[in-house]
Amino acid sequence: MRPLLALWEKEWIALSRDVLGLAVLFLMPAAFIVVMSLALSDAFKGGAARQTGFAVMAADPKLADRLAQSLSGDGFRAAPAPADEAAARDGVRRGTPSLVLVVPRDFERALGSPLDGKSTPPKLALLADPALPPMQLLAFQQRVLGEVLSLRAAAMMRRAGIAANSDAFDLKRAAALSVETIGGTGRPSSVQQNVPAWLIFGMFFVVMPISSLFIVERREGTLARLVSQQVPFSLLLLGKVGPYFVVNLAQAVLMLLAGRTLVPWFGGETLVLPGRWDLLAAVTACTSFAAIGWGLLVAVCSRTLEQATVIGGVGNILAAAVGGIMVPRFVMPEAMQKLSEISPMAWALDGFHAVILRQGGAADIAAPCVKLLGLAAILLAAALWVHARRRVLTSAQ
Amino acid sequence: MGTLNLEGVSFRYPGRGEAVLDRVTLAIPAGGIFGLLGPNGAGKTTLISILAGQLRGASGSISAGDEPLGTLRRRRPHSLGLVPQEYAFYPMLTCAENLRFFGAVQGLAGVRLKERVEAAAAFARVESVLRRRAGRLSGGLKRRLNLAIGLLLEPEILLLDEPTVGVDPQSRAFLLESIRSLAGAGRTIVYTSHYMEEVEAICDRVAIIDNGRVLVSGALSDVIRDGSGLQELFMQLTHRSLRD
Repeated sequence: MRPLLALWEKEWIALSRDVLGLAVLFLMPAAFIVVMSLALSDAFKGGAARQTGFAVMAADPKLADRLAQSLSGDGFRAAPAPADEAAARDGVRRGTPSLVLVVPRDFERALGSPLDGKSTPPKLALLADPALPPMQLLAFQQRVLGEVLSLRAAAMMRRAGIAANSDAFDLKRAAALSVETIGGTGRPSSVQQNVPAWLIFGMFFVVMPISSLFIVERREGTLARLVSQQVPFSLLLLGKVGPYFVVNLAQAVLMLLAGRTLVPWFGGETLVLPGRWDLLAAVTACTSFAAIGWGLLVAVCSRTLEQATVIGGVGNILAAAVGGIMVPRFVMPEAMQKLSEISPMAWALDGFHAVILRQGGAADIAAPCVKLLGLAAILLAAALWVHARRRVLTSAQ
Repeated sequence: MGTLNLEGVSFRYPGRGEAVLDRVTLAIPAGGIFGLLGPNGAGKTTLISILAGQLRGASGSISAGDEPLGTLRRRRPHSLGLVPQEYAFYPMLTCAENLRFFGAVQGLAGVRLKERVEAAAAFARVESVLRRRAGRLSGGLKRRLNLAIGLLLEPEILLLDEPTVGVDPQSRAFLLESIRSLAGAGRTIVYTSHYMEEVEAICDRVAIIDNGRVLVSGALSDVIRDGSGLQELFMQLTHRSLRD
């Protein structure tokens, strides 16, 4: 135990004197959390956060007003109608407004005629800004069709001589629809996605200090000296686990704190913390072991600092890109979502989401935790195996 | 501890065709300074690394007295100490932290650790810089710290791989005097160097190796019997052509 404590103490001192390297481990994920939480906040709010301007062009100003009023809301804001279609096209091309609905003459009368298979339905045209997100466009199309349907129903009722209040055909008043998110903190927000994501990314970056110090130890002959002093190699590796585990835990605490304080301070939402701290600690610990195992394997396999930087850095960025750290998995196509299942960062993210987002129990984090611990064991065994295959420890060649 | 016997020791680095050591046979008597000489790439450091247990896969046998060296190392891990050619310590740690770490990692603790750190620091005359970061020391102080770390566990066999490289004459004189005093205390010292005058000054026995083979070995007085000096003998045996 004494040699292990000596190794931990040495690693601590060495780490604490590499202020820049240590700062990167904390500042990088914190910066990503703030920037990405703010940058993606609208994307997580759907269309509601983004006010999309639209205009209605119709020969009948009363109909234009009515449509503009009923289509407004939920992220869509009515803008003054352009003077003519050419002006409308020019405006849409510049994105002001993003949408122009062009209603033909006699549209209202055509709505009242029955659809018997011989007559064609009345035509509407929607001019759209190409920069408009497809989901926004689709949402507006649905709103227009819903409104047209209510206009048609009202027209047919009038034709049949049935008096009806216009409010009866207002879709917003047709029924009260409430949305309940089951077993969660409400809807997923940008901060709920980004805090665990960038925390995981930061945790896996311990690969850099682990491998760089290990390579310096090998290059300077320190490792060879320790081996000549009969210090087992497995103990040398174990000597790196303790300090970096503590670093990972400190990262977790500070990044959660950043989600609670720093992000709202910059105008973002506040991170909602889970009720089960024990589960959060378990997921953090399993992620940490996998990250340290990865660091040890890169350290043992790399012969130079440059190799370690490339293997560790590129490996982390690829795992993050595939694993839903940089781009949430729900926006990925199905094939990419399948591919993301091989990324350890995706397993870690599943674990954190189960606790933070879904307020899940032990059973919900079991699978990701087992995967992460299994990976940690495989990586550590691989590091020992690579070392055992090498007969050469020194630079004496 | 008896004579350190090497019998037909050969070694080849993985992926290389030629053997770096080719059936090396040497007898290193206990309690003296044995100079291991050779040009660059002769195999000196490889031989030291094999003795220190850093390189695996050498053929032949190495024993200390009647006991295989590997068995002795397992039985008494600290019977053999190494002062490598490199500054094998942590530059970001202070001298005291380095000494404490290398002592503690070998099992020293408490009062014994403190005593050994103080004794090794005093022997190598690094007491005045114990609080300084090792990476910021001068070349001579680094060499002395390297020696101090090798002496923490008071090994019976001490392997010194070019311990005076890159130091000023004062530090070199101090290091040589220190090494002589270590041998006087009954230790077996294996010493490699490129400086012939150093070897002539402190070694009792020498071996000159080149291309992994022993060219000559024996008591210093026997080896340079013709009075031409070690430098001349070395150049005769290893030739004057430049080495890569």
